[in-house]
Amino acid sequence: MTKTILKAAIGLLFLAALLVIPRYVESPYALHMMILLFLSVSQGQSWNILGGYAGQYSVGHAAYFGVGAYTTMMLMYSRQVVPWVGVWVGVAIVIVVALVIGSICFRLRGPYFVLASIAVAEIMRLSAINLTTLTNGAEGILATEIPAFKIGGRVITDFLTKVPFYYIGLFLALFTIAITYWVQHSKLGYYFQAIREDQDAAHSLGIHITAYKNIGLVISAVLTSLAGAFYGIYVGFVDPPTVLGLDVSVQIMLICIIGGMGTIWGPVLGSLLLVPLSEALRSNMITEGLVKIGFVSADSRIGLFLKENLAHAHVLLYGILVVLVILFMPDGLMGFIKKLAPRRNREAV
Amino acid sequence: MRKHLLALGAVLALSPCLLAQKIGVINSMSGPEAPIGEHITNGIKLAEEDLKKKGINLQLVWEDDTGKPQISMSAMEKLATRDNVVGVVGPYTSACSNAVAKLAEKYRVPLLIPAAAKEEITRQGLKYVFRMNAPADKYASSLIDAASSLGKPKTIAFIYENTDFGTSTTKTAKEYVAKKGMQVVADEPYPKGAADYRSTLAKVKSKNPDLVFMVSYVADAILLMRQSKEVGLQPQAFLGAGAGFTTPEFAKERAISEDVISCTQWTGDVNWPGAKEFEARFKAKFGKEPTYHAACAYASMIIMAETAKKAGDRVKTRDALKAGKWNGVMGEVQFADYEGFTNQNNHQMLVQQIINGNYETVLPAKFATKKAVFPFPKWK
Amino acid sequence: MAVFLQSLISGVLIGGVYALIGIGLTLIFGVMRVVNFAHGDIMMVGMYLTYLLFTLMGIDPFVSVLISFPLMFLFGGFLQKVFINRVLNAVAQNQILLTIGLGLIMSNTVMLIFTSDYKILTTSYSSSTIQVGGGVSVSVPLLVSFLITAAITAALGWFLLKTDTGQAIRATAQDRDAAQLMGINVSRMSVIAFGLGAALAGTAGALISPTYYIFPQVGSTFTLKAFVITVLGGMGSVVGATLGGILIGVTESMSAVYISSGWKDVVVFVLFLLVLLFKPSGLMGKSRT
Repeated sequence: MTKTILKAAIGLLFLAALLVIPRYVESPYALHMMILLFLSVSQGQSWNILGGYAGQYSVGHAAYFGVGAYTTMMLMYSRQVVPWVGVWVGVAIVIVVALVIGSICFRLRGPYFVLASIAVAEIMRLSAINLTTLTNGAEGILATEIPAFKIGGRVITDFLTKVPFYYIGLFLALFTIAITYWVQHSKLGYYFQAIREDQDAAHSLGIHITAYKNIGLVISAVLTSLAGAFYGIYVGFVDPPTVLGLDVSVQIMLICIIGGMGTIWGPVLGSLLLVPLSEALRSNMITEGLVKIGFVSADSRIGLFLKENLAHAHVLLYGILVVLVILFMPDGLMGFIKKLAPRRNREAV
Repeated sequence: MRKHLLALGAVLALSPCLLAQKIGVINSMSGPEAPIGEHITNGIKLAEEDLKKKGINLQLVWEDDTGKPQISMSAMEKLATRDNVVGVVGPYTSACSNAVAKLAEKYRVPLLIPAAAKEEITRQGLKYVFRMNAPADKYASSLIDAASSLGKPKTIAFIYENTDFGTSTTKTAKEYVAKKGMQVVADEPYPKGAADYRSTLAKVKSKNPDLVFMVSYVADAILLMRQSKEVGLQPQAFLGAGAGFTTPEFAKERAISEDVISCTQWTGDVNWPGAKEFEARFKAKFGKEPTYHAACAYASMIIMAETAKKAGDRVKTRDALKAGKWNGVMGEVQFADYEGFTNQNNHQMLVQQIINGNYETVLPAKFATKKAVFPFPKWK
Repeated sequence: MAVFLQSLISGVLIGGVYALIGIGLTLIFGVMRVVNFAHGDIMMVGMYLTYLLFTLMGIDPFVSVLISFPLMFLFGGFLQKVFINRVLNAVAQNQILLTIGLGLIMSNTVMLIFTSDYKILTTSYSSSTIQVGGGVSVSVPLLVSFLITAAITAALGWFLLKTDTGQAIRATAQDRDAAQLMGINVSRMSVIAFGLGAALAGTAGALISPTYYIFPQVGSTFTLKAFVITVLGGMGSVVGATLGGILIGVTESMSAVYISSGWKDVVVFVLFLLVLLFKPSGLMGKSRT
């Protein structure tokens, strides 16, 4: 009992810290990294609901991410619809899209489902390239200005700094975590897990498999589309490869798998690892750091080699991470941590 | 928060020594755009060397955007707020430049884009965004004008990769030929990396166009011309809009590249001051012929560094870029406002043709090194 | 008519090479039930091997098949033994992820070594053609690669049907447990099957090099194509994959002409989904549930 209170207290403290960060951290770059982190958490968490809990490994989540991003951006760009309205249009469209995809793909199992999900996402990407009048094709959509958010004539925020994005991102991440928590602790979660463990057994227990898979897909797709819309507005630019590409789908999946599927904190851990790691590699911070602590000299051959190559190697590192995780910790970082502390918190799935 | 930012900005503006000579570079050093990114990197490295000789010691902060706009934006955030650079040169691709331009304006960092083609970038009235190269509409108009001056083409076919560069260049080209009263008989976007263009080319051939206008990177340029030869596509001229059609690799494929007309921002044989020397030194240092990207990047870095050195801070650097006039490897450079563009160098495009395996400038007449071969000779 | 014939011919010829990629994938799936997402990347490795042999030693791409086939076989066997073997009994999803990871490692290692420059092989016959009349031409290198593909497919068929090892592979594909009970060394068959799959993908890479170009990310397009082909033909069916490859080649080429080059891949994916929905066992596959 005291443990639960302690946990809640730590959680609240942490939350409070996250809420006040923008008051004290002025560097837009630091806020930018936090926003990317929130985005990553919400992406991973959305995938987690369908992939981690219901066991339906979609390699096509770029479809929902892209539809969310595109709808919001298209409405803002060509119809001057404010994004906080456009987002919900996106959600409505994504629900329809998800149900259509579900009715096609959920007839298939295992590898066939995976392949079908890829095919659908690819069709979406190619359509976005080819339907130029609707989507502006490969040129993508650039929104130079976001209208200020007003309630009753009062300006709440004008989106000129990163702060509003920080709070929206934080809210989105917390929201997806909350939904996952709810899913895990509701009947829905048990049905999902039954389907994941053994579809036929679940069926014979009277669980309507297709219906529950579709519910999982719709929840997951809606959350992903919210993340997509957030991405679109924040970056201010969408084009087919960056929001609908196959590597977007893989990235979304990796966050969750490396962190640990079917757990609430898995995607959070995954994001905490992957987001800083790829930024550090990309911007050569690791080499700079090694130089600073005197590990290598900047002009030595090793130093130069690292500087030239490390930035290009972050996808390679992703690959190595995935292989290691699958071979040695199939339950992701979360599973690994739990193994280290086997006796504590058995009840927490 | 905004107050804090402003305060921060004020502190930074008041301390030019803090900002001196730190210049950011955003470029596609890895990812699919890396082959051309490498030319930009090398151009900048050569500029760094030359500036050193002139006593300008640069501290360059290199950022790789891997060809992705959102990463490009991260890089800009970092350069503007963490590294406090006085100016930025880059990024390479249109998509990245477009995304970064907005941020440059927001953080008031002078941004000099060396070689991105999309017109809109300098059409948004952004005060801190400058562009060295001529935008996409010039590719189309210079090529089509050249073809019209050489013969009387009435029909045109477009084959282009379905990327930002391909579609936006073709879009302006279509608008331009409509004005000229030419008829578009085929409009074929293709996905990058498709193994087989023969069926598309056979279809184009059946329309018998006077001109074939292509926008592709180098590998596809070679493949398209090889397969054009295979199916016997025989227009009055093949027009290649920059990119893949202006590379030494393409010229080397003599069986299929001979007599193809293309346009470029720069060549080694043009009589702009230092161009020939730049080409020779680049070749000696990197073992490769420089592309126009390299020359654009070189000139951009020289201009940015010299201006920043004299001006000191971001605002003054911007003003000096706006007011200045240069003459170097890219010819005369001035960032002007015209035809809806802001801070755009009204650069003279060169029309060239591959003759005996070499790029020869054929138009405009005052830069021409050879007379154009027209119409395109029969395939052997 | 000339346009129709031209697209039909080049579709069939390019389809032959697709078929070879598909056969490799289908073999691996048949024996191990593993969907190999690194298949296109293995093909890419084969392309770079061909490129190296050509530029360093001047070996003609078509001749280099003799060297790259065994090398790629060893490479495939290595991948199976070290990585794939460990997840044979894991859930399908983990197998897929492992192969995705391996693919990322391959393409990015190659990128570090060769940079992401496009490499193009120029041979004396790269753009030579035979005129068949009526304005229709046939690309010589494409024709040669089609013939080699046909020969390899025939040899593979013979190997699977007539040799002891081939029969053991087929037995393993039919029922892994039963095969094991019958005394077949199942894990060895898996290594051979993966090796063969990799060798076929590598060979396809070698055969397409004279008419195509090479870059580290070339794999993913072909991985997707290989999936479409194998599903179309029926997962695990060699004959199906051959037909599937040619069918996809022709579909691409026809839809480029009669629909549009931009939409041709969409046509292929829609076809793929339709097959998955209405005949998930594929055109030639036996239904397995």
